[in-house]
Amino acid sequence: MEMSQRGRKILVPAAFLPLIVSACTPEPITSQGEQVSDLYTIFSVIAAVIFVVVAGLIGWSLIRYRAKPGDDELPPQFHTNLKLEITWFAIPQVIVIGLFIATAFVLVDVNEEADDPAVTVDVEAFQWGWRFGYSGTDVTIIGIPQDPAEIVLPVNEPITFVLNSDDVVHAFYIPKFLNKRDVIPGKENRFSVTIQEEGTYQGFCAEFCGLLHDRMPFTVQAVSSASFESWLEGQGDDDGDS
Amino acid sequence: MATVDSPADFGIERRRSGLVDYITTTDHKKIGILYLYTAVAFFLVAGALALVMRAELAAPGLQVVDNQTYNELFTMHGTAMMFFFVVPLALAFANYFVPLHIGAPDVAFPRLNALTYWMFVLAGLTAFSGFATSGGAAPFGWTGYVPLSESTYSPSVGADLWIMGLLLSGVSGTLGAVNFMATIFGMRAPGMTMFRLPIFVWNIIVTSALIMFTFPVLTAALSMLFIDRNMGGHFFDPKVGGDPILWQHLFWFFGHPEVYIAILPFFGVVTEIIPVFSRKPLFGYRGFVFATLLIGAYSFSVWAHHMFTTGAVDGPFFSATSMLIAVPTGIKFFNWIATMWRGKIRLRTPMLFCMGFLFMFLMGGITGVFLASPPIDFAVHDTYYVVGHMHYVLFGGSVFAIFAGIYYWAPKMFGRMMNERLGKVHFWLMLLGFNVTFFPMFQLGLNGMVRRIADYPAETGFAPMNLLASIGSAIIGLSVLVFVYNFFMSKRRGMPAGNDPWEGYTLEWATTSPPPHHNFTRLPPIRSQQPVFDETQQAQRESRG
Repeated sequence: MEMSQRGRKILVPAAFLPLIVSACTPEPITSQGEQVSDLYTIFSVIAAVIFVVVAGLIGWSLIRYRAKPGDDELPPQFHTNLKLEITWFAIPQVIVIGLFIATAFVLVDVNEEADDPAVTVDVEAFQWGWRFGYSGTDVTIIGIPQDPAEIVLPVNEPITFVLNSDDVVHAFYIPKFLNKRDVIPGKENRFSVTIQEEGTYQGFCAEFCGLLHDRMPFTVQAVSSASFESWLEGQGDDDGDS
Repeated sequence: MATVDSPADFGIERRRSGLVDYITTTDHKKIGILYLYTAVAFFLVAGALALVMRAELAAPGLQVVDNQTYNELFTMHGTAMMFFFVVPLALAFANYFVPLHIGAPDVAFPRLNALTYWMFVLAGLTAFSGFATSGGAAPFGWTGYVPLSESTYSPSVGADLWIMGLLLSGVSGTLGAVNFMATIFGMRAPGMTMFRLPIFVWNIIVTSALIMFTFPVLTAALSMLFIDRNMGGHFFDPKVGGDPILWQHLFWFFGHPEVYIAILPFFGVVTEIIPVFSRKPLFGYRGFVFATLLIGAYSFSVWAHHMFTTGAVDGPFFSATSMLIAVPTGIKFFNWIATMWRGKIRLRTPMLFCMGFLFMFLMGGITGVFLASPPIDFAVHDTYYVVGHMHYVLFGGSVFAIFAGIYYWAPKMFGRMMNERLGKVHFWLMLLGFNVTFFPMFQLGLNGMVRRIADYPAETGFAPMNLLASIGSAIIGLSVLVFVYNFFMSKRRGMPAGNDPWEGYTLEWATTSPPPHHNFTRLPPIRSQQPVFDETQQAQRESRG
């Protein structure tokens, strides 16, 4: 009896642990994304510890301090302990300062723009599609709901995206980059990535932009630099629409 | 202090019929009940909209509604839940219980109170009347981002009705806040010092302050949008020097304190219930008040964490402030736990909902810290991760606490106990449905499912978890039906409650259920935060002799 009760006490909070740890980021494919993923892992571990401690204390109180039937005696009526209160004010304060410092380092790297990107893509979002222009060439790829865009990018080279909109706010989002930026009329946004793995990746518009917001998916193909160069040359001929 | 010549007094003598009485009432208790019914009605409507959305999302492809309708659904779902359910429900509790808690006969301005309520009704009906127009309701999300909400992109009349509805609701909320401030600072019974106020009342003070400072900002922003749309203004039009980011600043300068407006009153509710059902005083009363004030103060400095991906705000500053605001909330958790510690916990339905609140809000709070980190926010902003987080805060937090409050206070408001067994069925169904619906959303968001989409491509692999979430939403729907049945059944046939069914601490338990017109025929002496408890203890000591 005593054992099984103790077992329950441990099991209740422990049951939530896999739930928290199970939520993890998709495998990142950019060097910046890797840092974000690592940061997410740090946050998750600390979050799991906090959850288990706090949920465990609640669960313990619920089980250990349930009133027994017929017991009408008042429990001890204590209600202050300044030292304890200062402690539990200080501990979370220290934790969030630590999380902030970890954040600050990653933020600097994620926001860092490549000095000399191998490819600069001018991204223009509109209702409802994308126009991708490869800077320095006349290659332009347009995607619309009936015919989504497929863009090609090289791996292991810094790439900069320059984001502009002529109508409403959109957001340029490739989940496996673990990054996104709003595409805002009247304000140009830029960010850089270095893709590390070849493959085909889905992209979306993340900021709600009106009727067909859900019809703005596009595809990114990451290929070797050589294949990218030959693809780009092949595109040069049929100026415009893919 | 009691205003003997208030119009309500004359109303009583004339003995009006029930309906006319409620329409013309200035009694804070009746207005509280009106707020409760109206807010719950909006909850049922907005919940039904959500169920339609979940039905649509259960599988890839458009089966139930088209894009336009879907966009109207999530706009009105968010708008109604925030403006016409959660905040008015806080006002329902505040209306009924602030005067009782402070030992007053009514609020400071009873007629203003009635005006506030009726403006809120009009506000809700105005915003929803968009559905009756040919262009449909507003389709741009409850955040109304420009330029999408400008007349070029959203020309429908429904959009203007949405603006008018929110304007009315903003004015109504501001007047209500003024009324509560005046009531709490001016009408406390002798002996009811500030540090003897129930924590619920403290939370209403801070909530009212937040409303008074932020609702006018929203009102101003909405007026600017209205001028842009209808009078040729250019506040937000980038082509002629306007700024779309300005809207986001104004909206979130209101919008983040709004989140605290939507949660603080319910922190108050939970903080009233946990001590009573642990049979102990609240642990760390002053620390709790301090934490509430700190949350209120911090809440003005965190708004731009909604805007990290705009690239137009200072990431580190808003990240730091947003993480710091987690600390006072953490303090409250320890206070709640220490209150239960070595207590004698009675796990009745109100307490069960408080426990649901603790676990679910803990999840919401923790995931909030993730979102306060800009690099993580860049990954999950505008995805279902945020949808999951906000529902753990506002549903797992506020709504569970709302039900805790209803089960706790319905005996006082209607004189009858709610059915325990049905209450427990309601709780477990809702807890299950809630987690099945919203837990998968964290992973969906991480995997890249963005918000506010009517459809997603099949090859994304989002389908199984969406189906799960949709099944969960049906369970929530079922649990709400159990509640509605329990509420009306118990109101008619529940056990009579008596004055003090829970062995409560605060002054509402010193009077009859429901209380008489001016609340009290006598007040117990107020010498601590638990005047009713003190008096019953005194009586027991004397009877023992």
